[in-house]
Amino acid sequence: MKKKALSLLLSMVVVASTVACGSSARTDSGSGDAAATESGDEGVKEFTAFFAVPGSEINDDNEVQELIAEKTGVKVKETWLTGQTAEEAVGTLIAGGEYPDFIDGGDGMMQLYEAGALVPLDDYIDSYPNIKAYYTEQEWDSLRQEDGHIYWMNQFQNIKGEDTTCTHNDEAFWIQTRVLEWAGYPEVKTMDQYFDLIESYNEANPTMEDGTENIPYTILCDDWRYFCLENAPEFLDGYPNDGSVIVDPEELKVIDYNTTDTAVAYFKKLNEEYQKGIVDPESFTQTYDEYIAKLSTGRVLGMIDQWWDFAYTAGDAIKSAGLDDQGCMYVPLPITISEDVHNQWHNSGGVLNVSSGLGITTSCEDVEGALQFIDDLLGQEIHNLRFWGVEGVDYEVDEDGVFYRTEEERTNAADTAYKASHICSYSYFPQWCGTSDDGINANMPSDQPQEYYDSLADSVKECLAAYGAQTYVDMLGTNEAPGPWYPMYSYSNNLTTSTDAGVAWNLMGEVKHEYLPKVVMADDFDAAWAEYMEAYNACNPQDFIDAMQTELERRVAEAAKFEE
Amino acid sequence: MDTANTKIYQSSPSMQKSKEDSYKAVAVTKKKKKASAGDMAFTICNTIFMILFVVITLYPVLNTLAISFNDGTDALRGGIYLIPRKFTLKNYATVMQKDNLVTGAYITVLRTVIGTFLSLITNAILAYIVSRKEFIFRRQLSLFWVITMYVNGGLIPTFLLYKNLHLTNSFWVYVVPGMISAFNMLVIRTYMNGISESLTEAAQLDGAGYTTIFTKVISPLCKPVYATIALFVAVYQWNSWFDAMLYNRMSDQYTTLQYELMKLLSSVTNQGTSAEAMKNAQGAVTPTSVRAAATILTMLPIICIYPFLQNYFVAGLTLGGVKE
Amino acid sequence: MKTKIDLNTIKKQKTLLIWGAIITIYGFIFYYLPLAGWLMAFQDYKPKNGILHSTFIGMAKFTRLFSDVSFLKVIRNTLAMGVINLVATFVMAIVFAILLNEVRNVFGKRVVQTISYLPHFLSWIIVTGILHDALSGTGIVNEFLMNFGFIKQNIDFFAHTQYFWPIVAFANVWKETGWNAIIYLAAITSIDPALYEAASIDGAGRWGKIRHVTLPGIKPTIIILLLMNVGNVLNAGFEIQYLLGNGLVQSVSQTIDIYVLKWGISQSDYAIGTAAGIFKSVVSIILIVIANQIAKKSGEERLF
Repeated sequence: MKKKALSLLLSMVVVASTVACGSSARTDSGSGDAAATESGDEGVKEFTAFFAVPGSEINDDNEVQELIAEKTGVKVKETWLTGQTAEEAVGTLIAGGEYPDFIDGGDGMMQLYEAGALVPLDDYIDSYPNIKAYYTEQEWDSLRQEDGHIYWMNQFQNIKGEDTTCTHNDEAFWIQTRVLEWAGYPEVKTMDQYFDLIESYNEANPTMEDGTENIPYTILCDDWRYFCLENAPEFLDGYPNDGSVIVDPEELKVIDYNTTDTAVAYFKKLNEEYQKGIVDPESFTQTYDEYIAKLSTGRVLGMIDQWWDFAYTAGDAIKSAGLDDQGCMYVPLPITISEDVHNQWHNSGGVLNVSSGLGITTSCEDVEGALQFIDDLLGQEIHNLRFWGVEGVDYEVDEDGVFYRTEEERTNAADTAYKASHICSYSYFPQWCGTSDDGINANMPSDQPQEYYDSLADSVKECLAAYGAQTYVDMLGTNEAPGPWYPMYSYSNNLTTSTDAGVAWNLMGEVKHEYLPKVVMADDFDAAWAEYMEAYNACNPQDFIDAMQTELERRVAEAAKFEE
Repeated sequence: MDTANTKIYQSSPSMQKSKEDSYKAVAVTKKKKKASAGDMAFTICNTIFMILFVVITLYPVLNTLAISFNDGTDALRGGIYLIPRKFTLKNYATVMQKDNLVTGAYITVLRTVIGTFLSLITNAILAYIVSRKEFIFRRQLSLFWVITMYVNGGLIPTFLLYKNLHLTNSFWVYVVPGMISAFNMLVIRTYMNGISESLTEAAQLDGAGYTTIFTKVISPLCKPVYATIALFVAVYQWNSWFDAMLYNRMSDQYTTLQYELMKLLSSVTNQGTSAEAMKNAQGAVTPTSVRAAATILTMLPIICIYPFLQNYFVAGLTLGGVKE
Repeated sequence: MKTKIDLNTIKKQKTLLIWGAIITIYGFIFYYLPLAGWLMAFQDYKPKNGILHSTFIGMAKFTRLFSDVSFLKVIRNTLAMGVINLVATFVMAIVFAILLNEVRNVFGKRVVQTISYLPHFLSWIIVTGILHDALSGTGIVNEFLMNFGFIKQNIDFFAHTQYFWPIVAFANVWKETGWNAIIYLAAITSIDPALYEAASIDGAGRWGKIRHVTLPGIKPTIIILLLMNVGNVLNAGFEIQYLLGNGLVQSVSQTIDIYVLKWGISQSDYAIGTAAGIFKSVVSIILIVIANQIAKKSGEERLF
């Protein structure tokens, strides 16, 4: 009896595994072809897309997605990066040789190009007016790869009409409004003034209202976020965020900001402040989560960071705890190394990061349809649907035609559940900033001045007013867009260790990660700095600088072709 | 009688005499009547150790439980230990909103059941084969499997293989590739080796073949180790998400619970980087609080299932004796 | 013992042979075929060309690997943490299993055992989060040490290299002790109760029984697990070091797995990643063979 039962069981296993292969083969072909085919009844084409960044998936029956599908006849199923790095995800896609129709491989874009996974777009562009208009001829040209073709278009920070940016989304020295208020809203322009202010405030008010001790200054150093410690010297010297190097716009020369006098002065200052107990001793060991938790309590008076890195987590926590009434919200300050240096923390104009973007893969069976969809998404009506939502539901229009949101709509727009079931911005497809075709409204709600101002806390409004500013951007002043080479990080991002420059770039990052905290914490700054420089020079930074110089010259030469 | 074990014990009295004279004296005077002073001390120390162990183990888990029921932004201010300060179910609501959660749960249960079943049978068969001392390829087969524990071809070749076997975009990629594992096989084999040979010899004399010996003699004795391995495999299957992401990314119908939770976590964590999306967000849920809720939710089923498996261990206690 | 291979034996062992063959085919397909990927380490691998059409460059990647000072440091870290973790988790699991077995209160025993598994189900993200909280300046550990006068100033545990390895070891012990003990508990159940009775009659106390019955009874299990884990020494981990490490301690925190990830995948240099992986496999196999020989010499249970 039992013997029979067992042999039955065992044969089941064998059968099961053979059936397994058979049936999986069937489902495989079934689901694989579902992409880019007409799904019959509604006549809506379905495409698939993968973006190698973490993102939020929306529900299958998302309302705005359905609306867009009605208007364009296309629906895109988006998937996002989970638990892998972009390169790993792209690597597995390449290994399998099967791709979604649309793809943004992030830092893995170059790999996709090298694997021959992308469709060249240049032959198609002319037939799609909205796509064609998305970039200037020169910008399109800068997207060409070595073989002369264009394979992807970057989706972001492209300005149409007038630049109405209100948020300073980028890096700055931030300070709580209570510190400025206490000091009577003084002009703070240099690093020394900044730290003096924080010191004297902390001496006068060592604790918050509830008795919690203040943390005068903290530095985030967690993994790639260590830019909060590392790249300030480029800004202090009055240069824009080229990311990995400074570019001297007059001489067109690449400068290494790690070894400048300003860099020494900056780290020496941090070292002094560390010895005085102004710099948070946990700076170099805190994780990102811990840093956000710290900021959320309102204890931290100031820090360097990028707005997006803390504002939507810590900033909102401060607001919902009512700490903004105590002046715990942050505003940016136009800090440089000395008063005669003009700051460039904020630049106007778009940024074209040529190192990545949205591409169409060789697995896509309907390239024209896919491009038509991108073209449709850039049309104003659908663009408004993507970013503002449905009129009367997500936003209102006043008699002058200006869009605004009610308090409830503002809350909805931030609600995760509401967003998943209702809003569909196709956020990794090309999009416009600046003003819309009607000439009145901004393409993005966050760029709509009144809408932006209404959402600010009173303490921040008061602070801005004291400096005669309306927005965060006014606090810093804005600058012309830098030269055609900008941003240089779009080149260093794509460096790999197959070149000497790439190896140097990697080693430099590692050395800085280890030694910069040591330098700040050292009892003997000069000795620690010397030790750091020795390790730094052992990485052959010149290899990297030379490669950047070559790229700079190449970009300038490319741009010159369009001058005439 | 279990000869192997008896031998071990028989060899020890001499050691005991030489090394534990003083101790033995105490034991002899008190005999078995009541626990000796030494035994009492042992019991007390042991109890203290266990209590300490439980506290250290349990505290962080209870802390996570408290945070999962606490308002997210409030939790960021710290100071939450065992009781939520600002009670909310929002964290759980956020987790529950997930679209594919039901499909994921269904697939996860299915892969846990089928995967555990297949794994247990195949590993037991393999262990049985290599535990037969007379089997001619015993050593070679063992070595063949031991090597697999320490080498692998890497992500991309493995991916290509699965693709060519049509395992990608299918359910079977969860249960077939990892079915036999050298580690599990060795654990079972070791246990089987401990079973007295007299039992199999007796069965052989009665004319039983290899299959009968496996099903009627060895397997009933192996219940404790089978239960252990089943638990190992079940937990592995339950917690897996990497394979779902790698091989079934585009097939929503084969998504797993853990993968859906992972997606949820990374989207919560990442909301900070998408400026538009988080504008004016009211806080309330944070990555930490949602993570806590997701942790508790994933642990729950295992905690519910485990006591049933533990019953098998208790059964194993009586079986282990090998009385016949 | 050697069994001669003749027709008669083959006939007798037919069942074993058939099943053995099926399982071997399975093993070959799923574990050995992907090893073709090792070829990548000897190639200037380009995804476009695949393994079949990439050019061979010989040992260049290995030469670069071993001329990289940081790789040597990485090997040291991996070995050190591997050994410390192995010893710590091993000893703790055995001690815990034996002591738990000595708990006479059945209810208490089950409660403790059930609780002991819990940490195993927590992901490293959560475990490291908890550790960070506990060891921070205001954390429970510093508070405790201060209150009992062991230290005068808070210790910043994550800023100094000397604390990193012990912290990793502790985290592993905390997470896996209860779980690892399962196997030993199962093994203890297979010990003949008659042996305990015999020991009692001889006057052995509980300590004596542990030493002379329980420990010898689970010795085969201990040895086989030890053998298996010796080969795993280089798998000192990835997630925990990745999550707990920071710039200040990276000279002691980086393991081979992190190195592979950093250079092999993030820098899309698959070849160097594969080369490091091969190195790891080879060292593991050497270790396992040595350990197995030692076990063979001393007449203990063997892996193969």
